[in-house]
Amino acid sequence: MARGGEESGLGQAEAIIRPLPELVRNQIAAGEVIERPASVVKELFENALDAGAREVRVDLEEGGVRLVRVADDGRGMGPADLRLAFAPHATSKLRAVDDLDHIATLGFRGEALASIGSVARCRIYSRPAAELLGWAVENEGGRVSEPRETGGPAGTHVEVRDLFYNTPARRRFLKRTATELGRCLDVIQRLTLAHDELGVAATHDGRRVLDVEAGMGFRERIRRVFGAELADALEPVEARDGDTVLTGFVAPPRFARADTSRQLWLLNGRPVRDKVLIRVLREGFRGHLEHGRHPAAFLRLAMDPARVDVNVHPAKAEIRLRDERRTFGFLVNALREALRRSDMATPGQVLLDRAARRDPAPGATLPDPGPLRRPDPRERPGDDELRVYEVPGRPLELREREDAGPAGAAPAPPGTEPADPAGGWAASDDVRGPFVVVDRTYIVRALPDGLEIVDQHALHERVTFEELKAELERGPLEVQRRLVPELVEVTRAEARRLEEHLPALESAGLCFSVFGPTTIAVQGLPVRLRRPGPEELVRVVLDLIERTGRVPEGVALLEEVLHSAACRGSVMAGDTLSQDEIESLLRRAARIPEAQTCPHGRPTRVRFAKLDLEKAFHRK
Amino acid sequence: MKVLCNRERLREGLAVVNSVVPAKSPKPVLSNVCMVATDDALELVGTDLEVAVRYRVEDVKVEDPGTTVIPARVTLDFVRDLSGETVEFAAAGGNCTITSGGDACELVTVDADEFPVVSRFGEDGSLSLQGGTFTKLVERTAFAAAREQGRYAMHGVLIEIDDDKLKMVATDGRRLAVASAPIDLSGAPAPEHATIVPTKGMQLFCRVITDPLDQVRLAFEENQLGLRTRNAEVFARLLDGEFPRYSAVIPKEVGNALEADGDHLQRKIRLVANVTGDEARAVRLSVKKGKLELFGQSAGRGEATAHMDVEYKGRSADIAFNPDYVVDGLKNAERELVRLEFNDKSSPGKFTLGEDYVYVVMPITMDV
Repeated sequence: MARGGEESGLGQAEAIIRPLPELVRNQIAAGEVIERPASVVKELFENALDAGAREVRVDLEEGGVRLVRVADDGRGMGPADLRLAFAPHATSKLRAVDDLDHIATLGFRGEALASIGSVARCRIYSRPAAELLGWAVENEGGRVSEPRETGGPAGTHVEVRDLFYNTPARRRFLKRTATELGRCLDVIQRLTLAHDELGVAATHDGRRVLDVEAGMGFRERIRRVFGAELADALEPVEARDGDTVLTGFVAPPRFARADTSRQLWLLNGRPVRDKVLIRVLREGFRGHLEHGRHPAAFLRLAMDPARVDVNVHPAKAEIRLRDERRTFGFLVNALREALRRSDMATPGQVLLDRAARRDPAPGATLPDPGPLRRPDPRERPGDDELRVYEVPGRPLELREREDAGPAGAAPAPPGTEPADPAGGWAASDDVRGPFVVVDRTYIVRALPDGLEIVDQHALHERVTFEELKAELERGPLEVQRRLVPELVEVTRAEARRLEEHLPALESAGLCFSVFGPTTIAVQGLPVRLRRPGPEELVRVVLDLIERTGRVPEGVALLEEVLHSAACRGSVMAGDTLSQDEIESLLRRAARIPEAQTCPHGRPTRVRFAKLDLEKAFHRK
Repeated sequence: MKVLCNRERLREGLAVVNSVVPAKSPKPVLSNVCMVATDDALELVGTDLEVAVRYRVEDVKVEDPGTTVIPARVTLDFVRDLSGETVEFAAAGGNCTITSGGDACELVTVDADEFPVVSRFGEDGSLSLQGGTFTKLVERTAFAAAREQGRYAMHGVLIEIDDDKLKMVATDGRRLAVASAPIDLSGAPAPEHATIVPTKGMQLFCRVITDPLDQVRLAFEENQLGLRTRNAEVFARLLDGEFPRYSAVIPKEVGNALEADGDHLQRKIRLVANVTGDEARAVRLSVKKGKLELFGQSAGRGEATAHMDVEYKGRSADIAFNPDYVVDGLKNAERELVRLEFNDKSSPGKFTLGEDYVYVVMPITMDV
């Protein structure tokens, strides 16, 4: 619209502000929905799903920049539909505003095809199963052709060539082929995992990159996508809170990665990447992961669509939960419980494999390690059955499902029968020496069927931490007072900062006092806390205050302290332990279910089963 | 260099030197023993730069004086496993041959100039005392010195001369042991600096005092303490830093005092401690008139109680200690009757374990 002050009578003064042509509008909108080939794959794949496809085939060329072709065997479209397919805000999925509250389809905004059509050369072919002939329509940068009749199979094929050919600015933002392909595959994998009923084939430059048959189960799909080692180690998760149901699998912490590529959250069937859910996983794995690592987990969350808002973001990746706190607590507890059941020891076979390969590739799919996954001895056979939790946010009371039928129980992968009934840490373990200690750090210990290497420091950290926690839960901590306070020099600002938090620190048995403008006196420490020393402790606490601005109480504080101290490497000094001390440490560890990783997530032990040894010596 | 030695005497000397020689050192030359043969004596020298020993081997016959530096460990092992009564060392041209009867070995020597210089004991200003007095004081205190953490100055034993007494003090910040014994100063000046000797040095001093009735001499120097016995001179470099003002933490006025048989008390504490945790634990002492109840518990195991008769002056009171700490002191008690004095459950407990022997232990509290 022209500004009111301009006299239209001046003739040559044209309006500066004008409505944009539709093509430009769509190109701008495309920027929101279509960022890169992976966005195209996602939109087209979801359309295929919404069309009721049972088989989807995705062909990519040059990481999807040159070509994305998605072919489905869904219900197809007639000429009338094709004519509207590229029009903005045209959709078959939403008719009124009220529908927004209970959306069950994956797409509904009606923006995708219009956006894609404005920035690429597109062709849609479609034939409804009932028709004899199909129709095709083309769209080259916004110029849509009339549908014409053509022959072909039932279903819809959408071809998108030369993405961003008419918007060079966007094209420049594309990454290397391998990167774009990786993102496309990530989308395809997530959608493949999300849909049990669906058969998916994908190719890149003619090479097959994924092949999942229709009807394969969740675990089998994970096996196809991420390899057998991960799939075999998965621990099922099953929990319910009202009409919120969580199912799926978590992997032991050793499968954690620096990115979230092995995490999948399906909310009512839709893959979502939501901050809250990522936080749920981090919290569930807290204490078992090294800093900056993301656990592997494949989880389906089913909940009343009215309790979750998915229309927050055009890419529909973010969600908003009503009653977030309760849901959060419920999810975290369910994950923790499943994690405790998982076998956290690093299988020796993996190490042997890695050693054998010159170039260790931590991300690569490793060969099937065979029957290493062993059930936790505390867990009775058949414990894979559904467990149901009633109270979210608190340590859970376990209620076995009364009709523990096969429904819902994840099938155990083949070859996971326990090879060794005495595996794992358990009170029944034969904790007797002699133990060999390597480099004052690694305790080598014979098992009835194999051997185990225990990282004495990592284990000691975990044992200390769990004992302190248990002690704190029972009542006040035992504190060894000091005759002579340990004096730690700090800056004035640090001393003041610490002063505010002295009572909170005292609640965890850390008795500090301010001893002068730049001195902190450590007056007493929990008896069990051998490390870190006073100086280190003060530093750790100051760090914590600086990072978070507060001091958590009791257990949470101790956890933080032990975490950070461990991360600072303060426990590296090799203490020589006597045989009795080793035995006592192992016995104490046997009483602690979490003793498989140290508080900051390094494994405490590595196990070589007899089978591993036999393989290593080529006896098998 | 050529020397003939008595094998057993030589073995003793090499063993002493090897207790100093570091197993791994950034300076490889330190893993050697330096053998110095003068007209009538053979000296073995070893050091890790913190402590040093100079050991005079008896019963030797020097044919050709000289110095040779050879690996300490191998030499000791070889000499120990020989069977002859005498051993001959002959060093020439980069090699040293050890011969005994028909057995021999040849070791490659290290350039003697590389070996660090170890000082000689200075008689001036040194004072004389009985070896047994020295070792007794070390036994009563060194165990309380800090090991892993804490102020650097607490990783050793403080030695003072006070009122015609030699006094040793050690603390790790949680307990403190102070023991002293009268000595004859005969005009020797008291040291001007705080003398804090690292625990390893103290052990070596005790190691070379083979006969408790022998007189030994102590020399306080600016940065080291020297001790001379009949055939050894040992030097320990002093720890820098400020030792805590220990006299301030020994309770002066106490409300509760308990007297008991030391052995008996030690047995009861061990008894109860069997049930408490492996690493960290507390044993609670509850005293009433004439009765002491000991109580220990552990979440994983259970609990234990024990009773014994004691002499007690004061109100009914509780105090909890780390049993290891208490037992460490009681083991070294000089007399049968020990005395425990304390004010309340969060202030230090003072054990009097002998005439000149005080041991202070800070309690464990459970009500933060």
